[in-house]
Amino acid sequence: MSTTSTPSAGVGREDLERLAAHWEERPSLRAWLSTVDHKKIGRRYLVTAGFFFVLAGLSALVMRTQLGRPESGLVAPQEYNQLFSMHGTAMVFLFATPMLFGFGNFLVPLMIGSRDMAFPRLNAFGYWVFLFAGLFMWASLPFGAAPNNGWFGYVPLSDEQNNPGLHMDVYALGLLFLGISTTSGAINFIVTALKLRAPGMSLNRVPLFVWAIVATAFMVVFALPALNADNAMLFLDRRFGTHFFDPSHGGNVLLWQHLFWIFGHPDVYIIVMPALGIVSAVLPAFTRRGVVGYVLVVLAIVSISIISFGVWVHHMFATGLPQLSFSFFSAASTIITIPSGVQIFAWLATMLLGRLVLRVPLLFVIGFIVTFVLGGFTGAMFAVTAFDQQTTDTYFVVAHFHYVLIGGAVFPMLAGVYYWLPKITGRMYHEGLARWAFWLFFTGMHVTFFPMHLYGLFGMPRRVYTYPNIAGWAGWNLVSTIGSYLLALGVLLTIVGVVHTLRRGRPAPPDPWGGDTLEWSTASPPEPYNFPVLPRVHSLHPTWDARTAESTGPGASADRVLSGGRRTLLTSELDARQERAVAMPESTLKPLALAGALLLGFTALLLAWYPVAVVAALAVAATLAVWLWPPRLPEQEEVGP
Amino acid sequence: MSAPPGPHARLAGGLLLWYGVLGGAVAWSVHALAAWSLSELACASGSERVAAVPLWEAVGLAVVIPGLAAVGSLLVAVLAWRRTTRARPAGGDSALGRSRMLAAVGIWSNLLFLTIIALGGVAVLVLPPCQR
Ligand code: HEM
Ligand SMILES: [Cu+2]
Repeated sequence: MSTTSTPSAGVGREDLERLAAHWEERPSLRAWLSTVDHKKIGRRYLVTAGFFFVLAGLSALVMRTQLGRPESGLVAPQEYNQLFSMHGTAMVFLFATPMLFGFGNFLVPLMIGSRDMAFPRLNAFGYWVFLFAGLFMWASLPFGAAPNNGWFGYVPLSDEQNNPGLHMDVYALGLLFLGISTTSGAINFIVTALKLRAPGMSLNRVPLFVWAIVATAFMVVFALPALNADNAMLFLDRRFGTHFFDPSHGGNVLLWQHLFWIFGHPDVYIIVMPALGIVSAVLPAFTRRGVVGYVLVVLAIVSISIISFGVWVHHMFATGLPQLSFSFFSAASTIITIPSGVQIFAWLATMLLGRLVLRVPLLFVIGFIVTFVLGGFTGAMFAVTAFDQQTTDTYFVVAHFHYVLIGGAVFPMLAGVYYWLPKITGRMYHEGLARWAFWLFFTGMHVTFFPMHLYGLFGMPRRVYTYPNIAGWAGWNLVSTIGSYLLALGVLLTIVGVVHTLRRGRPAPPDPWGGDTLEWSTASPPEPYNFPVLPRVHSLHPTWDARTAESTGPGASADRVLSGGRRTLLTSELDARQERAVAMPESTLKPLALAGALLLGFTALLLAWYPVAVVAALAVAATLAVWLWPPRLPEQEEVGP
Repeated sequence: MSAPPGPHARLAGGLLLWYGVLGGAVAWSVHALAAWSLSELACASGSERVAAVPLWEAVGLAVVIPGLAAVGSLLVAVLAWRRTTRARPAGGDSALGRSRMLAAVGIWSNLLFLTIIALGGVAVLVLPPCQR
């Protein structure tokens, strides 16, 4: 299935040299800190998010070790509170979303046939902010000052009276800081996918992964402001004595919950949606056909992203609102299973109608389907309010959401890691090692979390640091703990596999799997400019399509080579009609400086060094001014339409 | 590739097509927010009336009006689908292909949102407004 190296008949030697000269970054510390290349930034997102995953996973291992037997005294209750809070918060905010943004950053420009994201410097800025915000939050753990009120930080337990100390200030400020990164990343994805698609890639030819990323980005833009508002108010309440959540002064406690879940429910889909996009991207290569029902899958993506905003109240069934108003949300909550089901059936049909090639990425996809569907079942059980009341805040819930989150996000991510590793590193992974990793991860996952359904039903509450020796609890808890070590071994083997790939892997051809999207038409790893000739797209499966291949061969026209500077092509939003070439920025240290100034500001706010915070604010303003100062433009070249 | 769209493709771009694609979604959002806040606010204030209109009728309107808007959107999407299918030229112009896809998405999504609105309507008939 693989083709030989790309640099195609369409470009001359001279053009290639000019492209290389314009896009190259010589290795040096400065270049490393100032790069704006989406591939490097994407890789950094993947590595950093993976690192936070390991930290959050280690917290989970400590918890599982503590819970392995009754009345164990490995950690104190206060420490346990911080462990599960940091675990949940980090998994959701510092691992799942940024990991998927990492895939998006690496892949979206490649998949749509562009040379970079729309705003490369903003992209670099987003990464630095993510890194700093993550370190900001994790740094609190060794000081015993980490968030300690669960990942959803309910008021009034998180207010100043009930929760003194820095814990919840770290939570509020950390999430606000991180929100800057997530929002700027989302806007970048939207503009990139709308304006930089290769000529001819009209909406009906956009890869499903890109649809998923764009839908996710829209969800981020609409959902995150609710969370930001919540955290800003919490910080003001705690630090400056406002009363947003304080009923004794006319505030409202439910306000926290409403705002949190207006963000929180879509957030489940913010995590799962791009992961499902990965599944749709991986399947064609291992079934040798396009995903069945392209239009229906797009429909599912779009409608899930809309419906998920209208169902937040289902997290608040225990708050005593009128039945009638609940029912409006129940209707939508149950109906959202239809588009989710549509996607699952589309994948199953693809596998049935295609010729299966059982490689590791496909194994992870199958593991995903099994696990995710089980999680979906237990989720549907909550729709029965009586059952919901019975199991709320027991380990049954913990079992359910790990099936959904690990099934719906981690399995697809691992599929994606193995699938794109040859493209990202230019080397093939070790198949045997990868298979071991899969089976350990899969077995470990089910051995850990399946028993949680049982002891949840037996009444074991979540968020307890220990439990009495009650029949039915102790044995199953031990099973869970053993499972969690198997799972950890699976993760470890994956890391070993990645390192092995980097060190020892066979060189990868441009297209080892016979994939159908444009990233496979570039070299592995891609050149800094991605495509020597920007392709013209003629179908939904451009690399399986002779006319698209021809467009970068002898059929290439000079207006798609663009070798006179760092440039890429602008096209129209709906039909991707060619508009004009635009200049792309050179690398710069400004994003790093701005993110650093913000880190200083947030740290100063946390530690109540207000004069320093003012200085940091001035530094932020100054950096912004320098960044936005209109550059002296070089002579514009004329480029035809 | 970028020939101007022919007369058949009048629905292929423009606001009407977008109404066909997104109308149902917008109608449902309006329905959910209006119906929820009406029942919530009226019941919280201890009255079963909204500005002298009985709550049942008021919430009913918050079902019927968005429902009709979604039906309209469905019709537009069907029309757009039929026109773009008929006008499909041999070469497969990307603009027409795109409109056809959007029309198909519109049809299915309007059916979905119409179902949710209808289920909301059933709740209004079955449940007494302020029961907890
Ligand atoms: C990798 C293996 C994992 C293990 C062994 C694990 C284990 C646990 C345990 C034992 C708890 C319960 C703490 C308690 O209620 O006392 C927990 C909570 C949680 N986990 Fe995981 N987890 C894992 C992966 C993940 C992943 C991948 C995610 C999300 C993407 C995640 C998200 C959460 C969340 C949100 C909570 C709730 C925290 C809270 O109660 O506020 N976990 N996990
Ligand atoms: Cu939810």
